Amino acid sequence: MAGRLDSFTLIRAGLLIDGRGGPPLERAAVLVRGSSILAVGPEHEIAAPESAHAQTLDFSDRTVMPGMVDCHTHHNGFGDGRAGDDLAALSDETLTLQSARNARASLFTGVTTIRENGPKNATMLRLRDAVRQGVTVGPRMVLCGRPVSIIGGHMSYFGSVVTGPVEGRAMVRQLVKEGADYIKITATGGSTRTSYPLLPSFDVDELTAIAGEARKFGLLTAAHCTSTQGIVNSLDAGVDMIIHCIFREPDGRFDFKDDVADRLAERGAFVNPTLHVLRSRIWAALRNHGEAALTTAARRRMDEDERAFETAIEHTRRLIERGANVITGSDSSWGDYPLGNAVYETECLLMAGMPAMDAVMSVTSKAAKAIGVDETVGSIEPGKEADLIAVEGNPVENLDALWAVTDVMADGRLVERGSQESISATRQLRPASS
Amino acid sequence: MAGRDGDFKLIRAARLIDGSGAPPIERGAVLLEGGRIRASGPEETVAPPEGARVKEFSYDSHTALPGLIDSHVHLIGIGDGRAGDELTTLPDEVLTLQAARNARAHLYSGVTTVRDCGAKNRTTLELRQAVQMGITVAPRLVLAGRPIAIIGGHLSYFGIQATGPTECVAAVRQLVKENVDFIKITASGGSTRTSVRGRPSFDVDELTAIVNEAHKLGRHAAAHCTDSQSIANAVEAGIDTVIHGRYAEPDGSHKYRPELTERIVERGVFVNPTLHQARERVWQLERKAESEMLSEDEQDLIDQFYQGWESAAAFWGRMKDEGVKLVAGSDASWQHYKLGGTSFQDEITAHVDIGMTPMEAIVSATSDAARSCWIDDEVGSIEPGKKADLLVVEGDPSHDIRALTSVTDVFMDGERVDRGNLV
Ligand SMILES: [Zn+2]
Ligand SMILES: [Zn+2]
Repeated sequence: MAGRLDSFTLIRAGLLIDGRGGPPLERAAVLVRGSSILAVGPEHEIAAPESAHAQTLDFSDRTVMPGMVDCHTHHNGFGDGRAGDDLAALSDETLTLQSARNARASLFTGVTTIRENGPKNATMLRLRDAVRQGVTVGPRMVLCGRPVSIIGGHMSYFGSVVTGPVEGRAMVRQLVKEGADYIKITATGGSTRTSYPLLPSFDVDELTAIAGEARKFGLLTAAHCTSTQGIVNSLDAGVDMIIHCIFREPDGRFDFKDDVADRLAERGAFVNPTLHVLRSRIWAALRNHGEAALTTAARRRMDEDERAFETAIEHTRRLIERGANVITGSDSSWGDYPLGNAVYETECLLMAGMPAMDAVMSVTSKAAKAIGVDETVGSIEPGKEADLIAVEGNPVENLDALWAVTDVMADGRLVERGSQESISATRQLRPASS
Repeated sequence: MAGRDGDFKLIRAARLIDGSGAPPIERGAVLLEGGRIRASGPEETVAPPEGARVKEFSYDSHTALPGLIDSHVHLIGIGDGRAGDELTTLPDEVLTLQAARNARAHLYSGVTTVRDCGAKNRTTLELRQAVQMGITVAPRLVLAGRPIAIIGGHLSYFGIQATGPTECVAAVRQLVKENVDFIKITASGGSTRTSVRGRPSFDVDELTAIVNEAHKLGRHAAAHCTDSQSIANAVEAGIDTVIHGRYAEPDGSHKYRPELTERIVERGVFVNPTLHQARERVWQLERKAESEMLSEDEQDLIDQFYQGWESAAAFWGRMKDEGVKLVAGSDASWQHYKLGGTSFQDEITAHVDIGMTPMEAIVSATSDAARSCWIDDEVGSIEPGKKADLLVVEGDPSHDIRALTSVTDVFMDGERVDRGNLV
């Protein structure tokens, strides 16, 4: 890497969205030195030093913005509807290869940072080793190692099961030793067959021990919560991010709790509502059945899924209104939602009433803040790493511009993305009937 | 992934080389149906059935030939000069990722089948599983899994050490259980630090036990041999392919053994001479010398190589003239030799450099390579019924072997490979 500090890249942008929320800047430029951003501003104010050898990238017919940050990924997954229980039965080598493929899909579609929420064993840690050794490419990775769960709890099949505060503390130490960047906890059951999504899993003393130990090492925590008591327990324990954040009672009733939402907002906890993963199930059902009539059971299931999705949108709307920090985290490739499609989740946040610029920030600067990497990425500012993308169109006017990524720069280098055909093949198609 | 029956593709090329060694057919054509070759020959003799849906590909100044078969690769290798002893310390997940990267690069370079001659643990077998699941793309894989070595022997760090005929038989059975396609044996020492260079490793009874068990279970066997005694041992044991195969004495000197050559020919043993492996490093140093000074060691390495090259070339020329079937196999990514790019073409070129005609070299990298891998009923030539694995290159490799490096398209299983697919 020696010598890279002397290499400059001048990027011309027809429109610049720096990710900090101000109005987009027309005819702007970004100057990159080595791997980081040196200067940004109106085109006429930005130039490489005289005498310096500068490469120019002309995106004057495009929008330049920060590389996207996806706070919630499952790189082991296939997004083909298979259950996590079945996924976990695959070998670590297979899962690592699948993770590598997903990592390329993320990066090539403009996601330059991911936070991984649940891989098996050390698969993602090994993938990151391989990226560092130049064996494969991928986005910047914020890794949990494995999620921490109770015996039989959600994702307990991935390898980190504990009981009691002492084992909780030990597991955090183990994950830190292996290179984890944050701690993911499953605070309620979930889709895992031996778990109970409507009930809490860990007790508050266990959650408190895990979160406390993580904090001691300077690590953030995030908890999977698919029912209300899990959210409350996690808030009591001081968890930094609530994932899914489904307001649901043990009897299955959806019941939004204003007081819990207010606590979330006051605490400044981040909320990752994972809306599109619900919609993906509906899309997959529509695709699988095509024109054929649904069976009664399938119809009922789809009705339930549609109600769950609409309720989640409505609850997210209320969370946004009450000032909660809602960010984009796709939850792909979980369920039927394949990686390479993070934009659908941001689209759902728009549907839940998030203003357009906030939505763009929810997948850039706010997402970076939520996962503790905002000092290095998430916005286009001097001193930050040069992770940025060029897109056709203005995503603040029409979010679909985020599908039209033409170039991805990571660490100051343009990413070789291969054929357009192969990138397009990663796209999850919207069913005609939706 | 594979093309479907009823889907036809008609490929026209200025020249067609069928891989059998027959002269090229000018203005040839190949008709593919699904994943297989349906017909081939002069353009006017090849036509799809009346009314069939046909996708046409026309290559006006190109040659179509069978997809190349590299009969000796190490998919897990990095090819940056690191020793196998160090490579093997990487975790299996990282090695599997590297294998996937190499497999993809080699496929895109025109190689549609590889025989992997030794990987750690289950890494290449895991790769094949991932290919079958559609997670990644690779050439057809003919796999040894792990090689069988003596205690401390060459490649013993990859996971199998056996002593005595009984353990050898057990090792073969274990590998077959894991569904390997052939058995790789290290019959002499090699670069492995704890192995004894220039000396045989297994005894003949052990080699015989391995080969017989492999044959019994429908697998062929190939042996790494870097000295004359180990070659003689392996041939006596009934080996199918001798790898490396230069006649060398324990003191490193070279002595030709006509009677050994006779036995190799008599028994129809293939020899994979791995000619370019040493030269690749020399080429790299020569490129480096264009911009910087070489160290004394580096310069010595170049000088030594050229001092030895002529006698090596003469040796291999003699082997060929006396009737030994030489098959091309690169040995990349071992040591400094990286898979992908033009790596296999460089090995094929070396076959021309030791006295083969370009057409003979092509045969050694297609139909003969297929025979040596026991897959010639499926691949290795352009004939009706075989798998539709084809390579299209610019120019005429039967005149200039380097034309093989100008790859325009690669077809595998009847589908054109998207060589720009990096996902
Ligand atoms: Zn998740
Ligand atoms: Zn080898």
